[in-house]
Amino acid sequence: MVFLLDCLTTSALLFMVTSGLMMIFGVMRIINFAHGAILGIGGYAAYVATARGFGPGYGWALALLAGLAAGAVVERLVVRPLYKRPLDAILATWGLGIVIIQIIVMGFGRGVQFIDAPIHGSTIVLGVSYSAYRLFMLPVAAGTSALLFLLLNKTRFGTKTRAVIMNEELAASLGINSELIRFLSFCLGAVLGTLAGALISPLFSVDPYMGIAWLTSSFMLVMVSGYSFISLMLTCLVFGAAQVVISSFVNPVLGGMTIAVLAATTLRLRSKGFSRG
Amino acid sequence: MASLAQEKRAPGAPSFLSGLKPGRASLIALAGLALVGAGPFVTDAYLTNTLIKAFFFGIAAITVDILWGYAGYLTFGQSVFFGIGAYSAGLVFTYQGFSGMSIALALGAAVGAAAILGFLAGWLSFYRGAAPFFASIISLVLPIAMSQLALSGGSFTGSSSGLTGFESFDFSMEEWFWIAGYSLMACGLLGWKLVNSDAGRILTSMRDNSNRCAYLGINTSAINTALLAACAIAASLAGFGYGSFSCVVAPELLGFSLGTEFIVWVALSGRGTLWGPLVGTVLFNVTSSYLSGSMPFMWQLLLGFSFVLVIILLPGGLIPLLARPFAVNKKSVPELVEARPGEKALPEKGWPHAIEMNRVYKKYGSLSVLRDITFHAESGELVGIIGPNGAGKTTLMRCLSDGGERTDGLVKIYGNDIERFPPEQCVRFGLGRKFQNANIFDSLTVAECLRLARSIKERPSFLEKKRTLALPPYVLDVLRLTDLDKKLPVPARDLSHGEQQALELAMVLALEPLVILLDEPTAGLTKAERTRIGKVLVSLARDHGLCCLLVEHDLDFVKEIATRVIVLHQGCIIMQDTVDRVVDSELVRSIYAGTDFYAGPGRKGLREGAA
Amino acid sequence: MNTALRLDQVSSGYGAAIVLRDISLEVGMDESIAIMGKNGMGKSTLLKTIMGYLPKKSGSVFLLGENISSWKPYRIARLGVGYAAQEHSIFADLSVYDNLSLGLKNLLYFKGRFDEILRLFPVFEDRLAQQAGTLSGGEQKMLLVARTLILHPKVIILDEITEGLQPSVIERLAAALVYERKRSGTSMLIIEQNIPFALKVADRYLIMKQGELIDRGNTGDPGAAASVLRHFQL
Repeated sequence: MVFLLDCLTTSALLFMVTSGLMMIFGVMRIINFAHGAILGIGGYAAYVATARGFGPGYGWALALLAGLAAGAVVERLVVRPLYKRPLDAILATWGLGIVIIQIIVMGFGRGVQFIDAPIHGSTIVLGVSYSAYRLFMLPVAAGTSALLFLLLNKTRFGTKTRAVIMNEELAASLGINSELIRFLSFCLGAVLGTLAGALISPLFSVDPYMGIAWLTSSFMLVMVSGYSFISLMLTCLVFGAAQVVISSFVNPVLGGMTIAVLAATTLRLRSKGFSRG
Repeated sequence: MASLAQEKRAPGAPSFLSGLKPGRASLIALAGLALVGAGPFVTDAYLTNTLIKAFFFGIAAITVDILWGYAGYLTFGQSVFFGIGAYSAGLVFTYQGFSGMSIALALGAAVGAAAILGFLAGWLSFYRGAAPFFASIISLVLPIAMSQLALSGGSFTGSSSGLTGFESFDFSMEEWFWIAGYSLMACGLLGWKLVNSDAGRILTSMRDNSNRCAYLGINTSAINTALLAACAIAASLAGFGYGSFSCVVAPELLGFSLGTEFIVWVALSGRGTLWGPLVGTVLFNVTSSYLSGSMPFMWQLLLGFSFVLVIILLPGGLIPLLARPFAVNKKSVPELVEARPGEKALPEKGWPHAIEMNRVYKKYGSLSVLRDITFHAESGELVGIIGPNGAGKTTLMRCLSDGGERTDGLVKIYGNDIERFPPEQCVRFGLGRKFQNANIFDSLTVAECLRLARSIKERPSFLEKKRTLALPPYVLDVLRLTDLDKKLPVPARDLSHGEQQALELAMVLALEPLVILLDEPTAGLTKAERTRIGKVLVSLARDHGLCCLLVEHDLDFVKEIATRVIVLHQGCIIMQDTVDRVVDSELVRSIYAGTDFYAGPGRKGLREGAA
Repeated sequence: MNTALRLDQVSSGYGAAIVLRDISLEVGMDESIAIMGKNGMGKSTLLKTIMGYLPKKSGSVFLLGENISSWKPYRIARLGVGYAAQEHSIFADLSVYDNLSLGLKNLLYFKGRFDEILRLFPVFEDRLAQQAGTLSGGEQKMLLVARTLILHPKVIILDEITEGLQPSVIERLAAALVYERKRSGTSMLIIEQNIPFALKVADRYLIMKQGELIDRGNTGDPGAAASVLRHFQL
């Protein structure tokens, strides 16, 4: 039972951490290599808020604002000028990510910080006791995916975004400003990233490099899932479970690499990933 | 004076070092030798120590530049191979002691492990259909995973503090300086030779246009993987030197930070120049060793910011900018000669069909783009494929030239079933494909493009630039007809559209194909150019026995040169006949020209008007 | 302002290739012009150049009094152009409703305008939720024209809207366009290979060959059909 909950919550965490990356990849077809730093910004936003004695809500709000700012800056200064040079865009976002991490180090030091979870203790679920905050991740992930689904499928912004993804030229002929759509999607992706960083921070420690640990898994998850959030959710479930299995029965270090290895092999043997079913 | 200079560059003039003027090259080499030789005597111990390490890093940076600057593979993970070399030294010397045996063992481990991991990474990264940045992602996963492994190795790998104080080579500082310095120079020279050789141009061409490479019969995945493995071994040996010198190996040597630093050095000092990163890495390391003491964070931040700025504003890097005034024009022009005809006999009677397509289907989901395509074409035929937009003409070409394309059905080239083979294999069956938009290598010269197209016929050299370029007679004809033979040193992107089309045709013909697919070879050409291309095509079919398949919008052109016409409409073949009969057919007239006169007043009016 | 669209010595092409050479033309307010000619003569390139998808090598384009030579496509569209490209011109994975409403500035307009559309194309009654890709070829073209008309554009630009369609559908499209012109006086620039359709919808025709305009005339002239057809002879 605990094992099942582990699988579910791990998948939920993976989904949270990856959704921002996915948002940007889906619309702009580039991988935001600054994603690790953006998770870190979220973590430190939560740390700053709780260290000053504010509640977790303030931490999340701060993370949201920081994500918005970081997303706007990265998009305007780095991604947009390099839109026609995707490999350089990757490189520049990576460089900027390193810069952001450096700034965090200068501001807060290299040390590891801990944040109290807003929900303490454990709850009894179906007869077993389980960390309440970890459980809390389940509705959060489900809610995020539902919101994203509604945003992309039921709003005008979503329709326009999907139109830009499908055919940018055609969208432009209907007066849709694809540059603006890309900018907003990038900001949204960054906000999802910082929020995820803030949300996971009580479960793990906060340090300048905290995002890097998630980077490989989230990159590979996006590559395998293709462009769809639904397949991302399924992939998170399958690979998250695999990670828990390897971590608990074999070795936690190998567990950390499970997703990367599984995903790379999957892609190599079936180059379309899971995106086509 | 001017005429003298021209004479010197005339084709076939002797030159010792390809490209560089001999005097200049040996001067640079001598200066380097002298610098490294005198180095230890003019620098203090701290600087000597820094320089030795910088030299080893420089070797790794050179491999990064070859992979990224030339072959277009952005790698964050070259540190992994450097670290593997260092750990090989550290682990073996710690646990086996230091002896002749253990040196061999450590070297073997360094080379072997790097090669295996390099091949594995290449296999995972380079495959047909992989996104271009996918290889970069794998290259980032690698160092993160490897440093995790090193960290979790417990006392065996020394975990986070690594291994220190193992016994190593008993060299003096001067000797280390010379070993490292001369190794770096040797690597630089070897790399320089490689990237400027004929084979080295393949790397650039794969970066420019890997699809065209595949259609020239070049197996890009295999070459990329082999190159990665070779660079992995070089970096590993550098790491081995670094580990043996410093007697400290730590997980940082395997991590993505060092891998990123390699990229930063190469990017700042000028990717794709080789000497830039060589000089730059040394300079950055020295500067960094002084500045990171006094202002550690600021220095890193400064480096990071300038890195981002350089990527956005100055993709060429800083050092080439400073050196631009001293640049030498180093285009050498090979002499064109006629290739000896291969042993391949001209197709005769009794051979299988040149092209055979049997019940070929192509579907995208529920949409059928091609349905039940069955036809064959013979040697010496010039078959025109016509049909309105969206009839599936280009898709048909694709299904003929790439085994992975069709959904169902059989395709044979001279009896060879193309199964699910990639384009490079189809090319080896004798297929040549000319694309609709001139598909060439922008940054290569005309001569280099042609040489590349010959690479499956004549294996290019890794170490030199040949001074002759052997081409089959009909390619020479095409070049002469279009005056391209006078433009051999011109970069392909500076050619006119018509010349680019002609160049691509010449490249495809240089493969000595038996079957040639041409997708709108005359689009965007002037009248005179069309006539010339038409003559070439007729002669290819009639005199050289090629089977030409021609997709064309311009019916006048088809009428002039084709021996037979296939009409496609909505994915089906609706007519195959002689040119005259197809042109006269009312059916074709109505669907192809789009003058789909429907019943009603319009039709009546038209008929009356036309009469 | 009595010209809707004016091209001054426009040249353009792809990469190094020049497809259009020094094209000048004018579409007056309320006027409808058809550009005809065989495939591969640069007709679609002309429209893509007007819409800002292809950079001009020289010359300028004026739309409704504005010099739009260096504008981005979405701005040109917002100025009041309804453009229907020849290929990939509907969002196959979006619903009919999404396709129709995407270009509207305000969704409140949709209801009223859709009623107008239904009068021209009753097939879309009760089919707003259907995925556009599942419509038949003819219905997709009707959707394309409907999507253009629903924007109430001041200038309509259509690229071979009749290609591959049944005569009955072509009749319907022609009727819809003629009706719309009568109703709102929209200017039109259409590219056609279907001569009767073009003659019915346009006031004037231009013939394009090898990237140049080589002939012109009024569609109302008695010999118009014959002189156009001459350029289509094989």
